[in-house]
Amino acid sequence: MEIFLNYLKVFAVGGFVCMLGQILINKTKMSSARILVLYMLVGVVLEVTGAFKYIKDFAHSGISIPIIGFGSNLAKGALEGMKEEGLMGAISGGLGAVAAGLTTAITCGFVFGLLSKSHSKKI
Amino acid sequence: MRTVFFKNPIYVKSGFTIVGPKEADGNFGDCFDVVLKDDLWCEKSYEKCESKMHRDAITGAIFKAGLKKRDIDFMLAGDLINECAPTALAARNFPTAFFGLYNACSTFTEAVLLGSVLIDGGFAKNVTCSTSSHYSSAERQYRFPLELGNQRPPTAQWTVTGAGCTVLSAEKPKLFNYQVYEDDVIAVDKNLNVDEKTLEKYKKSVDKQKKVVNTDKSNIIKRNFSKQNNDYGAKPEYYVKIVGGTVGKVVDLGIDDESNMGAAMAPAAFDTLTTFFRDTNTTPNDYDGVFSGDLGRFGKQTLEYLMDREGLKLPNWYMDCGASYYLPEQKTFQGGSGAGCVNTAFNSYILKKLQKGELSKVIVVATGALLNKDTPLQKETIPGIAHLFSIEIEKP
Amino acid sequence: MIERQEYQEYIKQNSPKSPMVRTLFAAFIVGGLICCIGEAIGDVLKVIFKTMSEKDVATWESCIMIFFGSTLTALGLYDKIGHFAGAGSIVPITGFANSIVSPAMEFNREGVFFGVCAKMFVIAGPIIVFGTVASFTVGLIGWFTTL
Repeated sequence: MEIFLNYLKVFAVGGFVCMLGQILINKTKMSSARILVLYMLVGVVLEVTGAFKYIKDFAHSGISIPIIGFGSNLAKGALEGMKEEGLMGAISGGLGAVAAGLTTAITCGFVFGLLSKSHSKKI
Repeated sequence: MRTVFFKNPIYVKSGFTIVGPKEADGNFGDCFDVVLKDDLWCEKSYEKCESKMHRDAITGAIFKAGLKKRDIDFMLAGDLINECAPTALAARNFPTAFFGLYNACSTFTEAVLLGSVLIDGGFAKNVTCSTSSHYSSAERQYRFPLELGNQRPPTAQWTVTGAGCTVLSAEKPKLFNYQVYEDDVIAVDKNLNVDEKTLEKYKKSVDKQKKVVNTDKSNIIKRNFSKQNNDYGAKPEYYVKIVGGTVGKVVDLGIDDESNMGAAMAPAAFDTLTTFFRDTNTTPNDYDGVFSGDLGRFGKQTLEYLMDREGLKLPNWYMDCGASYYLPEQKTFQGGSGAGCVNTAFNSYILKKLQKGELSKVIVVATGALLNKDTPLQKETIPGIAHLFSIEIEKP
Repeated sequence: MIERQEYQEYIKQNSPKSPMVRTLFAAFIVGGLICCIGEAIGDVLKVIFKTMSEKDVATWESCIMIFFGSTLTALGLYDKIGHFAGAGSIVPITGFANSIVSPAMEFNREGVFFGVCAKMFVIAGPIIVFGTVASFTVGLIGWFTTL
């Protein structure tokens, strides 16, 4: 029962975050790149203000799978690096924290970009 | 005066169209000459496919008019891709003088008007007017990569995958439509003005294509060649001739949404139409066919509103080629657009109706939105343009 | 001829709008499902690797989700999901993967160098740039406040 409740929270929060994005698309005609940048910056702000931790404790992947989690990782990495290594940590910590995700994305992009071509659309 | 009247009759000798699979499922599906079963057509890229469609549309139209490539004096052609590259690549296969044109989606009417002027002035006897567009190549040039998972806005239009060609002539056509065989369309001309290496490549591509066409299980093209409504070889019932036209001016009413082109183009269409009706002292009801290019469903509604305000109510047989191109369940939202839209609709549907005498006095006004990918980013608004030509039929 | 202002007003009022209820519903369902799949991957990882730390699980989770997003894009399915779901498939990390892989696939006809590699960041470039600059700014401000 507890696990069901857990997934319900993930579903509700994740869905709600995406729904807010859809409202932005419908009302302002923002392109997908702008939506992603905006959400990532929201993640940075949430992390800095400390709100991200509480939401994450409540909804787990519901908030960390949306790109908000990517932004919060960036900010968290920079702050932690700053605490450990001073200024150099502040510079390298942000990208260091998201290095795994970024490397996966770029490698996948390269490999799949070589392997497959875009398909023509029917709808 | 922006309206021109031609002193000599300019006959439409033939029209030939090649379209993609989605277009064939649409409203004009039965009227096209060649339908591709996939929109790559044995080529490696969408631009190459567009170029090939363009080349074969011109060749097909020339054969359908009962002419040879040598008989053509001028080619007027254009498309939507950067610097008209597919058109230029197609034009290297012809030993003919070539004009490359660009006026976005209204390139076709521009080509027909200029071709008529050339013939009327006595500078040419036969002229081809052709345009092409391709959904996938236009999409990656103007919008986003095909695989990007975003939603198309409800005002978006679907670029038509298609190429078409009209042959204009100073002479009356002897036969209705000459029979076109695949071997005529897909063949290497010995007098190509290209170097050895390109010729070799070209021959290879033709061989490959012939091989696929010859097998029964051909999945490359579906032919409408043998369909009854093509009327190959019949004596002409009516001659179709271009009698005049209005050259549009660029109109900009400050629309800056690049996904809402119908709104950007409707004022230009309105301007051209009112100018034409004023200069010819006619009303929309004098014509039994009023066709606009690719305004889309919303653009059509806007144009009707604008004309109503001016007291020139458009008749209920007024039709927008783009809005009627696809069926609603094909989910194109506003309908078709692109340089191939009005072209393929005219060369198949409208031309056939004219040749059978079902329409007698027709005006075609094609509209274009003049933007590139960077101008909206530089906070520029989108100017629109519309060219118009009018057609009548003549009994033999 | 109609006045500029009046025409723009007319267009604004009469342009077709996205159906609000359907698109919001689709975004909610698909976005929620993608997050649940991510959570499920995390749970499975926790079961298999019992000693793995919470942070590593989260990192693996997003890496696997990015891989799934890329694979669906390469198979030509992600744009169909996106057509239905809108923001529901843009906002999750799979949408980020899609925005990197889709231009790479689109431009592979222009070759590896100036096609795949150069055009890969056409859409995702702003995200990486903004993210890097924002994290540096946050770190710098943090450093000044602790001085």
